Amino acid sequence: MAFNGIKFDTSVPGMIPWEIVTIYFIVGLAIVFYFARRFGLKSFTTIDLVYIAVGAAFSVVWEFYIGSFIGRFLPSTPFIGVGFWGRMFILLIVAALVRKPGTGMLSLLIFNILSDLFFYGFGGEPMYTIYEALTYGLFLDLVIIGSRGKLFGIGHKSTDGSSVATRTVLGLAVLEGIIIGILFAIPDPIFYLGFFRPLISGAIVNWATIQFDLLAFIPGDVIIGILGALAGQRIAKAVGQ
Amino acid sequence: MNNLVDQIISWVIVLYGSAVPALFVIFLVGITGLREITRYESGNTFLYKLNPVIKLVLTIVVMTVAATTIWWIGAILTLILLLSYLTLNEGVRKFGYAFFLTLSTILGGTWSIAPYTPPSILQLAFPNVKQFTVIWTFPSYFQVMGYEQQLTLEALIYGLQTAFRVAPVLLSALLFITTTTGSDIFRMFTKIKIPIAITFSVLVGIRMIPRIFELLDTSVKMQYIRGLGYGKPRIISSLLIVYAIFEAIIPTMVYLFRGAKNLAISADTRGFRAYPSRTSLVELKFTSLDYYGLMIIVALIILAIVANLLGFGRTIPYVGA
Repeated sequence: MAFNGIKFDTSVPGMIPWEIVTIYFIVGLAIVFYFARRFGLKSFTTIDLVYIAVGAAFSVVWEFYIGSFIGRFLPSTPFIGVGFWGRMFILLIVAALVRKPGTGMLSLLIFNILSDLFFYGFGGEPMYTIYEALTYGLFLDLVIIGSRGKLFGIGHKSTDGSSVATRTVLGLAVLEGIIIGILFAIPDPIFYLGFFRPLISGAIVNWATIQFDLLAFIPGDVIIGILGALAGQRIAKAVGQ
Repeated sequence: MNNLVDQIISWVIVLYGSAVPALFVIFLVGITGLREITRYESGNTFLYKLNPVIKLVLTIVVMTVAATTIWWIGAILTLILLLSYLTLNEGVRKFGYAFFLTLSTILGGTWSIAPYTPPSILQLAFPNVKQFTVIWTFPSYFQVMGYEQQLTLEALIYGLQTAFRVAPVLLSALLFITTTTGSDIFRMFTKIKIPIAITFSVLVGIRMIPRIFELLDTSVKMQYIRGLGYGKPRIISSLLIVYAIFEAIIPTMVYLFRGAKNLAISADTRGFRAYPSRTSLVELKFTSLDYYGLMIIVALIILAIVANLLGFGRTIPYVGA
């Protein structure tokens, strides 16, 4: 398939088969529909929507205006991703404030619409909306579900209903931050380098680069995951959520 | 010795080669400038009066034309869009901010493409050039970071050409935002049946972006008032703005999240989401000006088709960094 000299390659050597990517996104969409039926947008109160909107707006400001410029003073290597780290950090704070399934996907959807309005002019849509919401957003939502709405230990009580020690709550935040950090390191190398980039630009798939990028993303993302979880915990307390 | 100098220069190019565009934005546009070109201000000229749906379609068409035609059509679009900022309220000032932001985008865009573009792509882009003009040779281990060993003049030109794919899109997106009220965007989204919860979040986000710049600006100024960079050389003191912005982020977020409660209460007390749909006193109308807007859209589409038929389509693959 080709348009204007740009081929949509589905047979680049080493590329993830399109069938697997399609199955992933169909399963992702099925989970979205399950969320929508079970919880729906109605489960979000007005304040939740405002938190999500503020977080998305902050992410746009960071990723396109501030972080991208600060990032230019730093070396360009897969170990450092100032723009992405900022977005991840803000996303974790929003998740700590809302703590409802669907927060991750809705936040990334709003972020994508805002970044289109302010920056991309709807370039690349709807592909990136689907891709980011169903990878980063979905991963975050799965952690929220796994924590039973007590993300980063916020509101966590022991079985007899009494409050648990601060150390336990901190431990939970760090653990969940690490899990989110590792999960957030996966989509870009695997889906972007392994599928979307060769699909759009016929780029060569190099699994050594994919593995290197995946491993290189993990340390930074894990650190930001932990920092975001701890900041989320504190901001939720400061805001009174 | 020469080798050591080469290594040092290579690292300086890598680390600070893209810092120039950043400095453009920080010093020439500033937080105030960013706030001004991301905020709606009322006005009476053509762009303000256009139906938001037409403006949105225009933005998408500009993106499509820039993506599907040769680079100089993108450059001409950039120039036209830039000049159209002069028609806005406080046009000259907005034009100035947009100009430096565009310059920064073009320089940054060029640099994010040029060092990563392999000769095989350049041969497609410049089939008539027999030998590429080498400007700089990076040490071989730079390939780990994805750098091509040789930075050529052609790679820079290619980077510049691809940057003209981004610049008009950014300018048209900001033009849409600065000339359209939040209420009109709300009506537009409602008209195209987007769920009210999503529309509301997008609208709050649109209102928040200039507000965030405003708060960051205040916080940065407060830090300078409290003595940040006092007694240090002027250049160091100016560069500390990056540190001040960094320091301002968490307090700004907490301030905004606290304020979010008031906004939510305000929306709830006005019956937000009491009914699945909302009624509006103002209807989005299609006026004679919108026909002119429509004509511009049609002209752009015809331009893209004709350019492609005449061989001025984008025939080289775009390889992002």
